[in-house]
Amino acid sequence: MRIFVSGLRKLVGRPASFVSVGLLVGLLGLIIIASATVAQRSESPNAGARALALVTFPGAYDLILSFMLGFGGLVAVIYGAAIAGSEWGWGTLKNAVARGESRTRYVLGTFAAIVVMVAAGLALTFVLGVGIALVGASLAGVSTAGLTDADTLARLPALAARGWFSVVEQAALGFAIATLARSQLAGIGAGIAFYFGEGFASIFLPDIIKYMPFSVARAAVDTGATGGGIGGGGLTQALAPDTALLLVAAWLVGSLVVAVGFTERAEITG
Amino acid sequence: MATRGLRKSYGSRLALDGLDLSVPSGVVYGFLGPNGAGKTTTMRLLTGLLHPDAGSIELLGQPFRRGDRRRLFEVGALVESPSFYPYLSGRQNLRALAAAGASVSAGRIDELLELVGLRERAKDKVSGYSLGMKQRLGIAGALLSDPKLLLLDEPANGLDPAGIVAMRETLRRLAAAGKTVFVSSHLLAEVQVLADVIGIIAAGRLVREGSLEALLTDQGVVRVRVGREQADATRAALDGIAPEIAVAGGGVEVWLTVHVEPSRAAEVNRRLAEAGIYASGLEAGTDLEPLFLELTGGGASAEGTMQGIAR
Repeated sequence: MRIFVSGLRKLVGRPASFVSVGLLVGLLGLIIIASATVAQRSESPNAGARALALVTFPGAYDLILSFMLGFGGLVAVIYGAAIAGSEWGWGTLKNAVARGESRTRYVLGTFAAIVVMVAAGLALTFVLGVGIALVGASLAGVSTAGLTDADTLARLPALAARGWFSVVEQAALGFAIATLARSQLAGIGAGIAFYFGEGFASIFLPDIIKYMPFSVARAAVDTGATGGGIGGGGLTQALAPDTALLLVAAWLVGSLVVAVGFTERAEITG
Repeated sequence: MATRGLRKSYGSRLALDGLDLSVPSGVVYGFLGPNGAGKTTTMRLLTGLLHPDAGSIELLGQPFRRGDRRRLFEVGALVESPSFYPYLSGRQNLRALAAAGASVSAGRIDELLELVGLRERAKDKVSGYSLGMKQRLGIAGALLSDPKLLLLDEPANGLDPAGIVAMRETLRRLAAAGKTVFVSSHLLAEVQVLADVIGIIAAGRLVREGSLEALLTDQGVVRVRVGREQADATRAALDGIAPEIAVAGGGVEVWLTVHVEPSRAAEVNRRLAEAGIYASGLEAGTDLEPLFLELTGGGASAEGTMQGIAR
């Protein structure tokens, strides 16, 4: 518990946490405001209607979630890799081990803090995203009556939970990769390469790639409402959401087992 | 603390080749060796960062094997360069460190910040600290759990003279309080004024171990500084007083090193005066350096070191 609480304190003060949320919110805001402006100025009714979708509730909820869970996955890979890699690069893991701390507990405690930070980051992004969408709606002169749509609000929590779980799985993947690489930069680089590599490979090997970690993360949230998120790999023949969710859990556990196993056996020389 | 037959290789490179250390309790133990001799590898093994290929370790009288991590609860360590989260303050870093391993009593962090002279800068981010300040914070980190055994790897690195004196006093005080302080260093002068017991390692093996007093027997020197043109006459005047007289220095003056008991400095001075030679400098003491160079095979660099001293 001490490691978890300490991990949370460390992550709250860490620039990477602010940058990650800032990136998500900034991009989301930019897209929403751009859409609202395009809709306002568009002379084509069809184009205008499409642009308005992002600021028209209740549909805007799904689109905001879709963006968060798609682009958020990439940010999560980078975030997970940055946290795990820095423990090796900065030598802070060495300090903990030399104080007699359990390596397994340290890794799991640190990751548990990431899980909470991901939840907080997604929640903050969602709230700010909705706020920006309301501003966009106001700019575009769209009614916000759908904001309180009961059906949508009722299914949002379950969808958000699935999305959070999927993003956590992607953070775990970055975490494991950086642990194996023992480096922030190498971990981040490899994480990004895997993310886009999987999307690219899905063009040629869709039957295999649909079981891969980023594809199952997208499929797990593709309940028909969000479209599986905005991100690479759209050509993949997606699995059923519930099957995908099981595979997300498998990849998450697998990533953590790899990170813990490697750390337990590693000779810490840095 | 003790090690028996400790071996460790990095691939094909043998770092430790059957290291046998015996560190008595309540002393400052100086672990000396040239760069690459295996000092840091030993530190890593003693703190569980590495696992030995062969041999055994005993910490505080108990075997320390893989899985015995709780033995480290009574050990404080600063291994290699101090490592911190750069975006956190000194205090926050100590708090993060305190969350791992043994529990830390309330108020201990402030106490240690005061001890290492960082109280005023405790709220500043570590990224803005100098090397010396990081080193002091590292020493504070090693002392967090009030350990019975303190392992410090090159603790004087980056410290200014006042910092070195303060660190030396702190370590002496800890040893006086019954704690065992194990300090690895390649700084002979620092270890000579700090340690009670010394172990010298070379090529992964312990080549000498014992009390400083015993090791320094026969390591007395008297150094004489004279004008370059008087070097030969000085050597002749001191002929027979010591088996060998080394001359070093490339300037107007040279240093002659006479390996005799420091108590014979007056005799050296008298001989010079009788020969009509007036030295511009004369100093006497014991010197670990010749022994260190002899044991570690650093003889080739001895002349350079002596020239450095002369300058």
